[in-house]
Amino acid sequence: MNGNGWAVEARELTRRFGDFTAVDRVSFQVRQGEIFGFLGANGAGKTTAIRMLCGLLAPSGGEAWVDGIPILTQPERVKLRIGYMSQKFSLYDDLFVLENLEFYGGIYGLSRKQIVQRSGEMLERFGLADYARSLTADLPLGYKQRLALGCAALHHPGVLFLDEPTSGVDPIARRRFWEMIYDLAESGTTVFVTTHYMDEAEYCSRVSIMVDGRIAALDSPEKLKAAQAASSMQDVFVNLVNR
Amino acid sequence: MHTILYLIQKEFRQILRNKFMLRLILIAPIMQTLVLGHALNTDLKNVKLAVADLDHSRASRELVSSFFASDLFRPAKVSATPGDIEQIMVRDDADMVLWIPEHFGRKIAKGENAVVGIYVNGTNSSLAGLATGYASAILRRQNETIRRQRLDANPRMAAAVFEVKPVSRFIYNPELETRYYMIPGVVVLIVTIISGMLSGMAIVREKEIGTLEQLLVTPITPLQLIAGKTIPFAIISFLDIGLVTVFGILYFRLPFAGSVFLLSGATLLYLLVTLGVGLLASTVSQTQQQSMFTVWFIMIFAILTSGFFFAIENMPPVVRAMTLVNPLRYFLSVVRGVFLKDITPMDAMPDLVPLAVIGVIVFGAAVARFRKRVA
Amino acid sequence: MRQVLAIARKEVMHILRDPRSLIVAILMPLMMVLLYGYAIDMELRNLPVAVLDYDHTPASRDLVERMTSSNFIVNAGYIGNRAEIEKGFRRSHFRAGLVIPDGYGRDLARGMDTDIQIVIDGADAATAQAVENYLSAVIAKINRDLLQSRFGDRAQIPVEARTRIFFNPELRSPSFVVPGLTAVIMIMICALLTSIAVTREKETGTLEQILTAPIASYQVMVGKVVPYMLIAAIDTALVLIVGRLVFHVPMEGSWWVLAGYSLVYLFISLAFGLLISAISKTQQVAMLMALLITMLPSLILSGFVFSIASMPRVLQWIAHLVPATYYLRVIRGIMLAGRSWFPFEGGVMLLMAAGFMTLAVKRFKSRLD
Repeated sequence: MNGNGWAVEARELTRRFGDFTAVDRVSFQVRQGEIFGFLGANGAGKTTAIRMLCGLLAPSGGEAWVDGIPILTQPERVKLRIGYMSQKFSLYDDLFVLENLEFYGGIYGLSRKQIVQRSGEMLERFGLADYARSLTADLPLGYKQRLALGCAALHHPGVLFLDEPTSGVDPIARRRFWEMIYDLAESGTTVFVTTHYMDEAEYCSRVSIMVDGRIAALDSPEKLKAAQAASSMQDVFVNLVNR
Repeated sequence: MHTILYLIQKEFRQILRNKFMLRLILIAPIMQTLVLGHALNTDLKNVKLAVADLDHSRASRELVSSFFASDLFRPAKVSATPGDIEQIMVRDDADMVLWIPEHFGRKIAKGENAVVGIYVNGTNSSLAGLATGYASAILRRQNETIRRQRLDANPRMAAAVFEVKPVSRFIYNPELETRYYMIPGVVVLIVTIISGMLSGMAIVREKEIGTLEQLLVTPITPLQLIAGKTIPFAIISFLDIGLVTVFGILYFRLPFAGSVFLLSGATLLYLLVTLGVGLLASTVSQTQQQSMFTVWFIMIFAILTSGFFFAIENMPPVVRAMTLVNPLRYFLSVVRGVFLKDITPMDAMPDLVPLAVIGVIVFGAAVARFRKRVA
Repeated sequence: MRQVLAIARKEVMHILRDPRSLIVAILMPLMMVLLYGYAIDMELRNLPVAVLDYDHTPASRDLVERMTSSNFIVNAGYIGNRAEIEKGFRRSHFRAGLVIPDGYGRDLARGMDTDIQIVIDGADAATAQAVENYLSAVIAKINRDLLQSRFGDRAQIPVEARTRIFFNPELRSPSFVVPGLTAVIMIMICALLTSIAVTREKETGTLEQILTAPIASYQVMVGKVVPYMLIAAIDTALVLIVGRLVFHVPMEGSWWVLAGYSLVYLFISLAFGLLISAISKTQQVAMLMALLITMLPSLILSGFVFSIASMPRVLQWIAHLVPATYYLRVIRGIMLAGRSWFPFEGGVMLLMAAGFMTLAVKRFKSRLD
C-alpha cells in the first residue's frame, strides 16, 4: 500500500505489437475492496491490459502500480500480492481437486498448516468439499471454475485478477460464481475482472469500457446508464461502440 | 526452496497417475533391454554355405565338415554347381559358396598345394567381411591339421620344424560375449530417449494447456520452475538406469566391474545435457509436436554417431571430429568402461571432462533462453 | 474420388503452411544419408595395438613390421611393462598388446620354438576376435616363411583359398549402408508425417466434423495419406539419388521396379504410422511409439546391421514382422544384384500394406463412433 492507497493504478499504460496498438494510453484507479469491471468486446485489449498488470507482459509505455508496487520495476514483488485466474482456468486435469489447491498453496509459500487449513476452508466456501479427491478432469465446467478461483485466492492476495472467468459457463453457474466474488470482496480483496458479458457489469462497483484499446467510459453502472439514458449495460455498451 | 519441492511433488503425482507414462518408465526399458540384448549380436551364426564338392574324397569331406563343425555356417538348402554360383547368391539361397575342384584329395595326399574357391555374397558387406574372416580361420586350422598329419608321417622333418606359437589371452569379457559390449549401449540409449523426450515435452505441455502462464504469475522464479521440471526426470532416469543395470546383471549376467559412484556421476553430467536439450527444444517450440521433432532430430544424429552401432574409429576424420562434441560418445565410453573394465575416475577423465563442459554449456544456454523468454 | 481429392487438397494446404515440419521431413533424410553414407564404414581398420618388446632384435622388429604392413593394425607405440597394457585397455588407448619375449630372435635363429603373447581387450568382442584372427594369420605367415626358407617347396600351405566377392566386390560400405538407411529413413519419416496429420485433426476436433459429411472413413484416410506419400516418395527418391551420385552405389536393376516396391513400402509405413496415431491417446504417446516401434526395429531387427540368422528364434520371428526386413532384401537385391522378381517379399509386403491399412481404418472408425 503506497501513499495514494489505490489497489490498482494505471497511468498512460500502453502496449504495442508492431504497429498495432492493443492498449492505448489507458489510465484508471481502483479502490481497495472494489469489484472493478473491465469490459469491452473481444479484441478490445482487455486481456493485454490485465497481463501487463500481472507482470506477464511488459508495457510499451506508461506505468502501473498494484498495491502501491510499480509493475515496471518490481514485478516480482507484485506477484506475491496478487492472484490470477486465466480464461483457460489453468488447472492440472490429472490432479485431484485437493492436490491442485495444495500445489498452488505451496507455490505461494504457504506453510503446510496454512495449506491444509485454507484448502479446507476454500472447499467448504465454494461447495467443493465432496469433490476433494475427484480428478479435476472429471469436474463439470462450473466446478472447475470455482476451483480455479479457489487456487487463485488461496494465499489471500490483496488484488485478484480474473480474466474472463465465466467464459462458456451456464448462467446459473455464473450467478453462483459472482456470489463467491462478492464473498471475497467482502473480506477485503480487490477484484479486477474482465468480461464480455454485459449483464455481469451490473455486479461491479465500477466499470470501465474499452473500445479499440482506449477507455471509452469509466463509472459505476448506475451512473453510466443514467448518462447514456440506457436501461441496461448492454445498451450503454452498444452506444459507446457505435459512436 | 520448498517451492521446488511442491513442483516436484506435482510432477510425480501427474506421472504416477499416467498409466502410459508408468509403462514407459518401468516396462519399456526392461523390454528394450530384453529385446536388444538378444538382438544386438554382432556374432555371426548360421551363415548359409552352399558346397560344390567336385572331388568327393576323404580330404574334401573333411574340409567340408570342418566348416560345419560349429554353428558359424550351416548348409544351404541347395548344393551348388560351378555354373550357377552367382544365381544361387542372387536368389539368396546361400551367402557363401565353397567350391572344391577335382583332384583336391589327391593333391593333398601327395603333399602338394591345392586351391579351393570361396565365393561370398557382398551385398551385406559386414556379413561378407566377417564370414570371409571366419572362413580363413577355419582354413588355417585345417591347414594346421594337415601339416601335423604330414609331419607325423615324416618325423625327421618334424624334428627340424620350429614355429612361433601365438598365445592369446583376452582380458575383460573373456567369454567374448558381444552383448556385453552392446547392452551398456542400450542403457545409454534408454536414458537418452527417456530424459530427452520427457523434458522436451514437459514445459511445452504446460505452455499448451495454459498452466505455464499461471505459474509465471506466481512468485516462482524461472530457475525454480526449471529445477522443478528437470529434477523429477533426473530422478526417473536414475531409477531407469538402476532398473536396467540390475536386470542386465541378473538376466544377461552382465558384468559390472567398476564403481557405482562413477556411473552415477557420469549419469548426472549426462543428464545435464539431455535435460538441457529437452529444455532448449521447449523454448523454441509452441507445440509438443515441434518440441519432439527437434529433440528427435538431435537425438538420432547423436545416437548414430556415438560409437554404439558403428565404430567411431572407422569414421572419416571430419565425422570423427564432429563426434568430439557428441555427449553420447563420452557417456557411452564411460558406461562401457564401468561395466566391462574396472575403470577408475582417473581413467574416465578424458570422457568426463568434455561431458561436463558440454553439459554446463547446453544446460546453461537452456536456462538463459528460458529466462529470457519468460522475463 | 472428388471427395478424396478435397481432403488431399486440404492436407496439402496444411503442409505448406507448416514449413518447419516440411523442412525437417525433406532435409533430415538428405542430411542423414549424406552423413551416414560418408561416416559409416563397417570395415575394420586402423586398430591400435601396442608392442611390449623385450627382445629388440631384427626378428622382433620384423614381426612388428608385418603386423602393421596392412592398414588393419596400427602400431600404438612401444610400452615398457605389462601393467601398461591393462591401463591402456582401461583408457581405450589400444586394443591389444603384443608381448615379444626376450630371446625371440635368438630362438628363431637357433631353430627353436618360441612363444608370442597376445593380450587382447575383450570388451568389444567382435573386434577382439578380428584382431586375434589377424595376428594369428600374421604369425602363421611368419611360420610359413620360416618353413619355406628351411624346406623350400616342401613346406607349402596345403589348402589355399581364392576368394571372390560377388556384388559389391570392394565391400564398400555405402553400398551396404544406403539401402538400409533408405528403409529406416522412410519408415521414420512416414510415422512422423502421419502423426502430424492425425493429431492436427484430433486436436482441432475437425476429424469428427469431416465425418459428419457423407464421406466414408476410408476415403478420409486415403485422402490424408496421399499427400504424405508424395512427400515420402520425394524423400526416397532424393536419398537414392544421393546414394547413386555421391556414393556411387551401384544400380544393377531397374529403377521402375525399385519405384514399385518402394511405393508399397511407403504405403505400409504410412499405414503403420496412421495405426500408431490412431491407437495413441495423446501426441506424446504417438511420437514416442513412432520412435520405439518404427525406427528401432527397422534399424536393429531388419538385418541392416545385425544378422537375423544370428538372433534367437523369438527375435527372428519378430524380425519377420518388421516391414523393413523385406524391403531391405528387395532394395539390396535390385540395386546390388540386379534382381527384379521377389515373389515372397513382394507378397508379404502387399499383405502388410492391406493389413495395416485395414487395421488403421478400423481403429479410426471405432475411436470416433
